[in-house]
Amino acid sequence: MLVTNNLSLKVGDENHLVDISVEFKRGGLYTILGRTLAGKTTLLKSIAGLITPDSGNITLDGEDYSSQPVWHRNVAMVYQQFINYPHLTVHDNIAFPLKKQRLPKAEIEQRVSTAIGQVGLKGFESRKIQELSGGQQQRVALARSLAKASEILLLDEPLVNLDYKLREQLREELKGLITQEFNAQGIVIYSSTDPLEAMQLGGELIVMDEGRVLQQGSAKYVFEHPATTRVAEITNDPSMNLWQARKVTKRLAIDDGIDLTVPKHLSKLEQGACTVGFRANDVTIDQAGLNFEVELSEVSGSETILHLVRDQTRMIARVEGVLDVGIGDRLPVSIAEAKLYAFSSDGNLLTSPYAEKS
Amino acid sequence: MRSFYTTLKYLAVTLWTIFVIGPFLWALSTSFKDFNSVTSGAKYIPWAQFEPTLDGWRVLTKTSAQGGVDIIEPFFNSLTVTGLASLISIVLGTLAAYALSRYQFKFGFVKNNDITFFFISQRIMPPVVLALPFFILLSNFGLLDSILGLIIVYIVLLMPIAVWIMVDFFNKVPREIDETALVDGCNPFEAFFQVVLPNSIPGLVVAGMFCLIFGWTDFFFSFFLTFTEVQLLPVRIVALNSSITPWWSLSAAALVSVAPLLLVAFIVERFLSKGNLSGALK
Amino acid sequence: MRFGHKYAFLLPGLLVLIAILIFPILFTVRLSLSGWNSYNPNLDFVGIKNYIRLFTSDARFWEAFFRLSFFSFTTVFLQYVLGFGLALLVWKDILFKRFFRVLFLIPMMTTPVIMTVIWKTVFHESLGPVNDLLSYVGVSYNWLSDPVVSKFTVIIVEVWQWTPFMFLLLLAGLLSLPKEAFLAASIDGAGPIRKFIYVTFPLMAPISIGAIIIRLIEASKIMDTIYVLTSGGPGTSTETTSFYIFIKGLREFQFGYAAAMSFTYLIIMIISLTVIVNVLVRVFNGRNS
Repeated sequence: MLVTNNLSLKVGDENHLVDISVEFKRGGLYTILGRTLAGKTTLLKSIAGLITPDSGNITLDGEDYSSQPVWHRNVAMVYQQFINYPHLTVHDNIAFPLKKQRLPKAEIEQRVSTAIGQVGLKGFESRKIQELSGGQQQRVALARSLAKASEILLLDEPLVNLDYKLREQLREELKGLITQEFNAQGIVIYSSTDPLEAMQLGGELIVMDEGRVLQQGSAKYVFEHPATTRVAEITNDPSMNLWQARKVTKRLAIDDGIDLTVPKHLSKLEQGACTVGFRANDVTIDQAGLNFEVELSEVSGSETILHLVRDQTRMIARVEGVLDVGIGDRLPVSIAEAKLYAFSSDGNLLTSPYAEKS
Repeated sequence: MRSFYTTLKYLAVTLWTIFVIGPFLWALSTSFKDFNSVTSGAKYIPWAQFEPTLDGWRVLTKTSAQGGVDIIEPFFNSLTVTGLASLISIVLGTLAAYALSRYQFKFGFVKNNDITFFFISQRIMPPVVLALPFFILLSNFGLLDSILGLIIVYIVLLMPIAVWIMVDFFNKVPREIDETALVDGCNPFEAFFQVVLPNSIPGLVVAGMFCLIFGWTDFFFSFFLTFTEVQLLPVRIVALNSSITPWWSLSAAALVSVAPLLLVAFIVERFLSKGNLSGALK
Repeated sequence: MRFGHKYAFLLPGLLVLIAILIFPILFTVRLSLSGWNSYNPNLDFVGIKNYIRLFTSDARFWEAFFRLSFFSFTTVFLQYVLGFGLALLVWKDILFKRFFRVLFLIPMMTTPVIMTVIWKTVFHESLGPVNDLLSYVGVSYNWLSDPVVSKFTVIIVEVWQWTPFMFLLLLAGLLSLPKEAFLAASIDGAGPIRKFIYVTFPLMAPISIGAIIIRLIEASKIMDTIYVLTSGGPGTSTETTSFYIFIKGLREFQFGYAAAMSFTYLIIMIISLTVIVNVLVRVFNGRNS
């Protein structure tokens, strides 16, 4: 088990890590989800030993890990930039860490050829890195990490610089590789800004923001029970819609003439001020609904993302199909009240539409 | 209008070309002259205007005692001093540049930029300012008029160039490459020598060429700090100039002395056209 | 990363440089406070006597310094204009592009003093080709012995020698410019001159500043050319600071006084270069906005 104890790092006035204490179990897959500059890369680099935090320590199986220099830690890392050794061939890139471990030649060859097979680069062994496409370069980086069979595999947004189609395809393969081919006793830590990616990978989710861990739990649990409004924003893309509301008997009053019926799961909610949240998907176009004005509309695949406003109240909706609406058009929409989250005014989750045990 | 521009462009290029190669052509022509063809006014074209002789070139290999100009020993002295000083400067300068590009230093209020500036600012130092104390320093150690003394002084001249070019170059090599090497089991030295250095060849070549140019063409220090034992090529040629050496052998000697580095122009152009130089020069 | 390895990379170079430099600099300061000359070869202490002499009664030093400023600014300005022009000429579509690039680089690869030896024969007043060719238009100049003309001779040789250095830095800069900016300007219908004023020149501002500063630093040390070409003459009409210090120190062996001049010269150089850098940055950035 890999444990970080109270890691903190401050550079200038900026907090890069604040009191990070997380346990990573052997054989586990962990996804660190957070926006850019949340401290994900810093945490990964601290685990690799490339960054020394100001305070706190790291242990592996109870033994001190912080005092080990990088090159003695049995770690592999894949960066979001496609980082390989430009002066070496594909084969020699993958063999590089194995030669450093002084493995017998036969084993090196065997491991390199297995890894090349796993990432689908057979026939490219003697190519130079510059002769490969971005996706292929990232496959080489991945193969190098897999062949090393290290105890800890760190993947820092490995797919973010690839184009959409390649990203989808490689993500599927990657999931298979790190869950099946990687060392069964190893720890995989994957960082991402994309909630969908985190959901697809499954495993344990660690939500980070401004250098802090906000929530940790299974991906499904965190998705269904975001501990705070900030977690709800980070774990949803588009971000979860959050409105200030007042519960008055059976109604939820919101500004600008919006008024929702209190759904059954919120019946126990105290009267008075709260924040309600709902996902972009839980908005539907409904002739009986309230009129909103379109501020922006973008088509993404087979869906349309709408930025809607009613006086001062804004929301983002994601609806099926390619919608032909222009800026300034009025659109009647309704919100699925059964999917409403309730947060306290200071942002903590009060009630989720999902049952606690899920 | 367009053809007018084009004509103007080629005219400018032609004029500058004449300006650039003029002195070389004149020296080449002069090197085949003899007493009569020099002293009877300016002559340009051999055979047509004067009868060429090889006298100017024959004396190059002869010692002064044989009536020659004796540039062979100075040639090799120059080669040794420039070569060794460049090598030492590149090695030490590259290591320091790597440290300044990758690590944070703090000695009191002195930080990375200040250290880099310290290295590079040595170029501001007028040679004459250093020459005085070096003269006394080297004579105290018995290094005046010696190869070793010159190499030591030339390091001051060349290391700033190496540091200047290599800091810039390393700043453009992604530090993730070194980090990956460390993660893959290299200690910092292995990461530098096995990964960073093999990917820094263009920077090293550019830095090397600049060191060679500035070393080979320097005159000051060797002029101040050597007398008779160790003459470098420029000092030798200038000495010939102030003695009564005839123009033809002077021209031949000068052409031979500047020839080796002309090759560097081709290498620089290759790097320039491949786009490698912009990275190395900022 | 908190490894001690970083010192192993930095210190060899740093210490070697400091070791070579520390003594000469301290010694220069000490020497400047002494009356060491060929009659009195001792490191005695005379206070700031040398400095008083320099600041109150040595017009020749200050004349040499102003001459140096004149040479530096004139040659660097010409080198910048010509170097930029040449870089633009061989930047894009021109026949034999690579041939001209190599050719234009050649002078900077040659040893200045050796080329000056050749230049001296070129400018020879009765036997050289310059006056010979000029005689066809009926003029001739005393290139090396006239106190005014000899200044121009020095400038011509310096421009020949070092314009290639400007050319190299500026061409490298031009070749690394992003293509998008020019594309946008073409779409807007800008002609070559407008493109240069509004796109190329502003984009080249940082590299221009860098190139000019490097050349000013090198030009401020100008001496080899002058030594060979005119030996500072006729009279003192082409003498620069370095050359004057050289004469006082290593020809007349007034070590103490020469050291005082050296140290003053160094301080003036550092201050004026700092000022020039700031002015340049302001001038070029002013054009930008």
